[in-house]
Amino acid sequence: MTQIQSRDVPVIELRHVDKHYGDLHVLKDISLSVGKGEVVVIIGPSGSGKSTLCRTVNRLETIDSGEILIEGVPLPQDGRQLAALRSRIGMVFQSFNLFSHMTVLDNMILAPTGVLKLNRKAAKDEAMALLDRVGVADQAHKLPAQLSGGQQQRAAIARALAMHPRAMLFDEPTSALDPEMIGEVLNVMTELAADGMTMLIVTHEMNFARRVASRVIFMDGGSIVEENTPEAFFTQPRSQRALDFLQSIRN
Amino acid sequence: MSAPTIRDRLYEAPGPRTRRRVALFTVLALIGLGFLLFIIIRQFARQGQLEARYWDFFLKWSTWRYLGQGLLSTLKAALTAAVIAIALGFILMRGKLRQNPVPRWIATAVIEFTRGVPTLLLIYFFFLVLPRMGLNLGAFWRITLPCAISASGIIAEAFRAGVNAVPKGQAEAALSLGLSNTRTFYQVVFPQALRFVIPSLISELVIVLKDTTFAYVVSYADLMQHAKVLITSHDALVSVYLVVAVIYILINYALNRMSDRIAQGNRRPTVQRQGGAA
Amino acid sequence: MSLSALLSEYGDLYLRALLNTWRLTALCFAGAFAIGVAITVLRVCPVKPLRVFGDFFVQVFRNIPGAALLILLVYALPRLRVLLSYEMCVIVASVLIPSAFCSEHLMSGMNTISPGEIEAARALGLTFTQLIGRIVIPQALRSTVLPMTSLVVGTMLTTALGSQVPLRPNQLELTGAVNYINSRAVGGILAFAISAALYVATALVIGWVGGRIDRKVRILR
Repeated sequence: MTQIQSRDVPVIELRHVDKHYGDLHVLKDISLSVGKGEVVVIIGPSGSGKSTLCRTVNRLETIDSGEILIEGVPLPQDGRQLAALRSRIGMVFQSFNLFSHMTVLDNMILAPTGVLKLNRKAAKDEAMALLDRVGVADQAHKLPAQLSGGQQQRAAIARALAMHPRAMLFDEPTSALDPEMIGEVLNVMTELAADGMTMLIVTHEMNFARRVASRVIFMDGGSIVEENTPEAFFTQPRSQRALDFLQSIRN
Repeated sequence: MSAPTIRDRLYEAPGPRTRRRVALFTVLALIGLGFLLFIIIRQFARQGQLEARYWDFFLKWSTWRYLGQGLLSTLKAALTAAVIAIALGFILMRGKLRQNPVPRWIATAVIEFTRGVPTLLLIYFFFLVLPRMGLNLGAFWRITLPCAISASGIIAEAFRAGVNAVPKGQAEAALSLGLSNTRTFYQVVFPQALRFVIPSLISELVIVLKDTTFAYVVSYADLMQHAKVLITSHDALVSVYLVVAVIYILINYALNRMSDRIAQGNRRPTVQRQGGAA
Repeated sequence: MSLSALLSEYGDLYLRALLNTWRLTALCFAGAFAIGVAITVLRVCPVKPLRVFGDFFVQVFRNIPGAALLILLVYALPRLRVLLSYEMCVIVASVLIPSAFCSEHLMSGMNTISPGEIEAARALGLTFTQLIGRIVIPQALRSTVLPMTSLVVGTMLTTALGSQVPLRPNQLELTGAVNYINSRAVGGILAFAISAALYVATALVIGWVGGRIDRKVRILR
């Protein structure tokens, strides 16, 4: 069912995307599609281009050639159309990036009131419900710097959810966290996946990937080396490079 | 260009529409600024300020030699004032960092005084009051001393910020090795603080240099005074004052650039040292 | 002259001078702030010629000595058929010079904004105007309270330029007032001490208020 839908109109689709940083070829002929309700996890060694790939989807990184389609429509290049598109794609960053001069609650309602033009009351009510869902409702009136990393990241996820995104991008959401806080963030993401959110996740958390992913994409040197089901990827990867990578993290 | 600044971060890579708009505004801005320049030059021309007699003496070596002499006097006064200000600032900083409340309080009072009072008021004090009290200083000291006092408070604060920027562990390590307080300060803390302080000392020199332009109050023959003589002898006010203003701006600009360079150079090695050799 | 004699004869003059210094400081800082913001907008806008113009403006007025600028305004401008009153010359100089420093403070305030927060604002779909209005300007202002406080004091010190032009007695500011008194009577140290005390007290109040505001709005990171 999911498969058929995804073949019809993928939420995110990349076609032959290339990108260079000067002489460095960071994305090589990337084609990828994420269907509705799919959870696609990208893994790979650092410098493999997986973060860059994730950031091209809402044009935080530009591409040199190829095409990016969101729900079948080409990614706008500037202006209000680009802003409008971004408002429909949630993004969670490695370093949380909550606005440091606003309380958590003000962080939550900034875009719903400013972009979606919700009234304050409605935005606030929904924000509190979302904060409650990720377990930080009691921190709503604090400033980001007063929260732990795990709490900040959960609030950042709630902030993205407040825009009712069609899909969520996660760019190494747990890499900046102390080990004891990684679990709480992954739990929120697991619940989100169970609720049917379309997600593109860059992560180093292999157990999480194995548990939650609908598909795993392995990148190395700017190319997609392997695309597989999580079970197959972690037990018998097809490519030698994936095998080497998995062995190197197990050691 | 080293680290990306806000100018780079504020904008993303432009799309085609943005590029077109930026190009359009660039053309409009060029036209607007060109028009502004045209208006100014036309005003100069209409009032006869572009006539050769107002400008041709700048082609003569003697003009520049004369201005150069004035500039030399200005620099002499500014450097002397800066050296005195640094000495005073150092003493004030030592006073403010003392445990004993009496010197601390006095230093704080002096710092607040120098930071709150305009240099001009101090210059008038040296010019009008001190002679009546029987203290007859020459014109040179009447301009350098008030400028020095005026800058000393800010310099004290710059020193203090530098000392505070040295990691606490440095002093603790020295004290735990059995060094005295004084030795710890002079041999461990202060030399490190100096690295942070030098850029702000250079910018202070700019402030002192600007303050010396009040030298006409005490009839010290600085660059401005020499300009005045040129104006009378060539009957050319606008051109001479403009040239002199440009000279001041260029010198101060160069000093500020130097200060920025040193500050930037300071940042990198410090970080590396903490990460590497620690 | 004793303090009581000085105050009974020139008390009114001091009071008016104090009020004039305050008025000039407030007026000039407001002007400097407005121009500083406008120039900063030019300096960060994507249109290259405007950036260059903004940088040029700042370098000129950051580096020109107050006396040199005042002399240009008072003596050179009339020869170009631009006639300003003496008081207006003082105001223009005390606006332009601090405006350059204001822009420098705003630029370094903006440099403290984390690039990640700017990306996050974009990722949420904020337009450029919203990004500037809701994230960049609020953060830049909050992180520049202390430098701006010093700038208010600096503006006050710049208004002492008023003593360098002939003003009517009721237009005199604190430095000019001392000159005026000294030209008439032997005011001595005391005449200076009164003006100095009024300056320092004003500076302390400004500093105290700035410190309070800073503690309230400072951004924790």
